[in-house]
Amino acid sequence: MHAWVYERAGDLGHSADERARRIPREPAIATWCLRSVSQTLMRLVLRIGHRFEVVGREHLPPDGSFIMIGNHSSHLDAVCLLAALPLWRVHSAFPVAAADYFFATPLRSMLSMVAMNALPLDRDHHGSDGIVACRKILGTPNNILIVFPEGTRSRSGALGRFRSGVARLAAGTSTPVVPCYLSGAFEAWPKGRAVPRPLQVRLYIGRPRRFEHVSPDDRAALAAASAQLRDDVAALGPTLPRSSAGVATQAAGRRSRLPNTPSVLHR
Amino acid sequence: MISPAAAFASTTFRAYVVIVGTVLLGSGVVLGILTRGFHRQLASIWRTYCGWLLIVPVVLAIVFAGRVAMIAGVALLSICAFREFARATGLYHDWWITNAVYLGILAVAASSLVTDPWLQVPGWYGLFMALPVYVVSLILIVPIVRNRAKGQLQNSALAILGFIYLGWMFSHVGFLANSPHAYGYLLFLLLAVEANDVAAFVSGKLFGRKRLREEISPNKTWGGALGAVAFSLVLPWLLWFSFPQFGPLQLVLTGLIVGVGGQLGDLTISMIKRDVGLKDMGSLIPGHGGLLDRIDSLIFAGPLFFHMVRWFYDVY
Repeated sequence: MHAWVYERAGDLGHSADERARRIPREPAIATWCLRSVSQTLMRLVLRIGHRFEVVGREHLPPDGSFIMIGNHSSHLDAVCLLAALPLWRVHSAFPVAAADYFFATPLRSMLSMVAMNALPLDRDHHGSDGIVACRKILGTPNNILIVFPEGTRSRSGALGRFRSGVARLAAGTSTPVVPCYLSGAFEAWPKGRAVPRPLQVRLYIGRPRRFEHVSPDDRAALAAASAQLRDDVAALGPTLPRSSAGVATQAAGRRSRLPNTPSVLHR
Repeated sequence: MISPAAAFASTTFRAYVVIVGTVLLGSGVVLGILTRGFHRQLASIWRTYCGWLLIVPVVLAIVFAGRVAMIAGVALLSICAFREFARATGLYHDWWITNAVYLGILAVAASSLVTDPWLQVPGWYGLFMALPVYVVSLILIVPIVRNRAKGQLQNSALAILGFIYLGWMFSHVGFLANSPHAYGYLLFLLLAVEANDVAAFVSGKLFGRKRLREEISPNKTWGGALGAVAFSLVLPWLLWFSFPQFGPLQLVLTGLIVGVGGQLGDLTISMIKRDVGLKDMGSLIPGHGGLLDRIDSLIFAGPLFFHMVRWFYDVY
């Protein structure tokens, strides 16, 4: 008879804060229940308060690990991207969150972990530890990584420069990257506002893209891949020049509340 | 039936509040004198003592709150204890079998709460005793439904041990809340089992020479064990008012169950920890290790006490 192997939990003896920050997380039924409830409530708020709609849900890969990327302009964004997934997949979907804000105190860490399943990313150390954690997540089957490649919320609602992290993660692998564009989230809850306004929010999901043939060491190719991803996200948004932020964004916001489906979606 | 109103009226409950309060206060004073007066290094004992200051009021409040709170509290402890066990042994990787055990523990709590449909007394003893049959069946069905064989003997064996020992056997303590003599039984059991642990520690420090079971727990000694048994044999006589119906035979048996059974429970959990390769089961209560480290003696002694009482008097 073979000796029994006890694969005990890796976080035995850790504090609650350490457990919340730890990746991969050990399964816990209480957390699972609380997260299901809080995600359901957030979906209800989105549906009722923001008349939330998802266009292009069929582009989400039905199984396997993938990365979802999107424009970042409000605290609603991660909630919206999670709400596009089936509820049971939320427990294996990890929105990348700034450790200096969402994991600043033990209480915040627990909330971010329980309610959002957030993955802490250290913004100060240029993310090499973060990349390792993200690779760990994507190395496990059927995990979803949610990243906002701009790295912070946009102050104007305009799409900023994309950092290269997502391209580095996807380069040389078969991991699909799904571009998403959220319209209306900036108007509903811009940076600096305490509570969201009940305006409509719509999520457009585009075709996934793979970067199997891009070398992870080729800086120019990674930059090109990042630019490509930015174009993919921008193409899902309203077809207006978004470079001169102010006026154009307001117009875009107004337009996005109309039932328009971008032409590029089904190209 | 125990309830807040009954607790106020019960001399037993009030006597225990006074006794426990005095013991806590007295030991605090003794520790203070040892630390200040004799400059002993007692930091770890102080931490354990502060843990007691946290545990005792919570336990008294639960017993005070009545039958439902007591049964629910024991079920919650069972669930937390099983969770520690499952995380330590790796059983928790098997989501379905773990949940089957949680479901079993909830069913045991429900059977202690409902009224017996034939006898019309609180607590359905027949179902309570029959539940292991159903829950063990449920645990064994899980791998069959999932069409898995590899590692399933280990998982079902661990789940059955977890349910029977940490779930069902421990739940006997909750079922005692259905007795008309609940205050006496429960408060004596809780106090005696924990006092037995402390007695073993103290007498081990004073007379401990020869190792008790060095392969299982290197710090326990025969001196400690025998001292604790001696203490536990005396305690029921001192607290005879808790169960005035007991004769000398029952008092001696109670002492043996608490003294010997309590330490066997301690060694049982030590054996599990030793095999898994852990020092403490967790870090729930400061100075006490995990929850299982605190309730280990109660899990063993509780059901033995329950069935001793039932043998002579019936629980009701």
